[in-house]
Amino acid sequence: MKTQKKTMLTGNKAAAWGARMAGVEYVPAFPITPQTEIVETLAKWFADGTLQGKFTNMDSEHSMFMAAGSAGATGVRVFTASSSQGILHGMESLYTITGWRTPMVIVNVSRALATPITLEPDHNDVMSTRDCGLIQLHAETCQEVFDFVLMGYRIAEDPDVCLPVLVNLDGFYLSFTREPVLIPDEEEARNFLPLYKAMQPVFQASRPMARASAVFGGATYTSFKLQQDMACRNAEKCFNQAAQDFEKYFGRFYGPVEAFHLDDAEYVFVMSNSFATKGKSAVLKLRQQGIKAGLLKLRLFRPFPGEAIASALAGHAKVAVIDQNLAPGMGGITYPEIVTSLYSREDRPEKILSVIGGLGGKDMDDQDFMAIIEHLDKPDSGTPLYLYDEKDVSSFNRLQQIAKLKEALS
Amino acid sequence: MWRIRMHGRGGQGIKTASQILGSAGFYSGFQAQDFPLYGAERRGAPVIAFTRISKDAILERGPISSPDIILIGDETLLNDPQSAPLCGAEPTTIIFVNSNHRPKELSQKFEVITANLTDLCLQRLNGRTIYSSALSAVGARLLGTIELEDLLQAVEDELPGVSSQMLKGNLDLAREVFEMVQPVAIPQRVEKALTAKPLVFPQHLPVVDGAPIILDPGNMALRKTGNWRVERPEIDYDHCNKCLICYARCPDGVISLAPDGRPEIDYDHCKGCLICAQECPGHFIKTVRETGIFP
Repeated sequence: MKTQKKTMLTGNKAAAWGARMAGVEYVPAFPITPQTEIVETLAKWFADGTLQGKFTNMDSEHSMFMAAGSAGATGVRVFTASSSQGILHGMESLYTITGWRTPMVIVNVSRALATPITLEPDHNDVMSTRDCGLIQLHAETCQEVFDFVLMGYRIAEDPDVCLPVLVNLDGFYLSFTREPVLIPDEEEARNFLPLYKAMQPVFQASRPMARASAVFGGATYTSFKLQQDMACRNAEKCFNQAAQDFEKYFGRFYGPVEAFHLDDAEYVFVMSNSFATKGKSAVLKLRQQGIKAGLLKLRLFRPFPGEAIASALAGHAKVAVIDQNLAPGMGGITYPEIVTSLYSREDRPEKILSVIGGLGGKDMDDQDFMAIIEHLDKPDSGTPLYLYDEKDVSSFNRLQQIAKLKEALS
Repeated sequence: MWRIRMHGRGGQGIKTASQILGSAGFYSGFQAQDFPLYGAERRGAPVIAFTRISKDAILERGPISSPDIILIGDETLLNDPQSAPLCGAEPTTIIFVNSNHRPKELSQKFEVITANLTDLCLQRLNGRTIYSSALSAVGARLLGTIELEDLLQAVEDELPGVSSQMLKGNLDLAREVFEMVQPVAIPQRVEKALTAKPLVFPQHLPVVDGAPIILDPGNMALRKTGNWRVERPEIDYDHCNKCLICYARCPDGVISLAPDGRPEIDYDHCKGCLICAQECPGHFIKTVRETGIFP
């Protein structure tokens, strides 16, 4: 472990520094709030020669992801970033390029989806890319953003994976928040992540090939899809290997999940991304007043580390899965995945409550966590539990009056 | 942990002030975090920024609802309902207002510390009112735990790309303000026992209320963007020849025609862009700095 410089960085800047320290060679870009600072920073570094390679402003996220996948197929290290409506616009390309099996790192800065339109965060955007075949790492801190971009390339480029890795961070709460981040020097970064050398055939002028093949009859399609599934599952092993190496070089260790005061916890909050910090703070305060609370943070979300999650949650009495997303007509998106992982365990929790909160940037405070504890103790509490209160209703009603009534102007 | 909340307007350097204070705290050996909050608006619109400085790990994120210190860069925001700079203040909260007024004129309810940063900025920064260095210096000094050299280093690091003359002005300004302000004792907070928020189950509404439908267009008139103004244009009617170029050029359509053909500015909605003053061929529109506390 050599010198690492500690600097105040936003989550966005930490993402850009991750790409810089990975020595990325191609960045196709399209701006969108709250992600723009990432590609802006990279554009500057390419322009002033700090980064060698090519930065291209694209005409949309759809072509941006296509360009990223194509460049990945030529054997260069690729980085790109998006958010919200942008990543949705690129959705067709995301499914397409994961099938091409070209590695890259994509950063998504979470922002809630229209309609109504907003700029503030929740996780419906990243959850919508859940089934594309991407590897997903969710960051709680600016340090994790930087570290996951570096680790992401190790996973994406592993010959047993060859898939894009998406690193997620929350808009505003992380993207625009500065906190101290350790940045290694370039040599040290290169020891952990050597320059990219493709382990698979790449496009060359002298060697024609095709990657976007058409297949018919089902069996061939199924075979390729099953291969993709296995490659994605392999990424859990690669994540753990990369994490071990990362600790060796930089002294920070990342498991696929993080247990916070979990050992003797009777009440467990399951959370991901930057609001996990708020959950941890609530856990400490609850413990001060004698309530044995704990928190399980999801880091690796795809592949889904079902064993790690089930082992962490089994044996605890009451679990609340807090989803900052909403599948209308169903509820929280991670909830059923977590319940499924526990189904075969005899010592599974007696109660697993689904909680919906933090939609469109709605803040979560200690009183919300206390309300969750109260509902975990209620035998008849309905599920999902919405973190929604009288104050929310009255501010909604106030705006509705302006939107609906002519008299509002008089 | 010390929680500092700053209020000002877009363009006054409030976000940068929170970053200078964050970096200064970090250089003085603390954990630090800073975070700005503004909507899709622009110059003149209220801006809030937050800095957290702590000896231990900071397990908080996002807006600060109960600050230890409130720094108000623009006194005209004091009674602004959207900005609500005193929201969450307790009798023990340290409140600083950049103002020429006496503290009692600014608030009956709270003890307020004041200093006239505007004049200092005008002097040191070549006639500009950018409060980033001055306001962060106030914060650093009130805390009493941040070294002057760390503050000056932070000013230098957070103002990349400014001219050497402007940087010197900012450094001088930060030093002057730092030496002018006295540290205060920040009371220790007593953590209250957590109570559960009473939650409600949402009721289904007819689509007209349940969907984001606006039946009453034109309601932007309710949004008094006039309080974004840092400077107000004033028409000199003794010389105005009613050429109506200001009326044509106003990007917000807030100049209307009086029955006698004179242009009239709607100050409830004029954002103070001052394009009218720029465009007036006879230079008959003067600009006046907004000061004072709006009721």
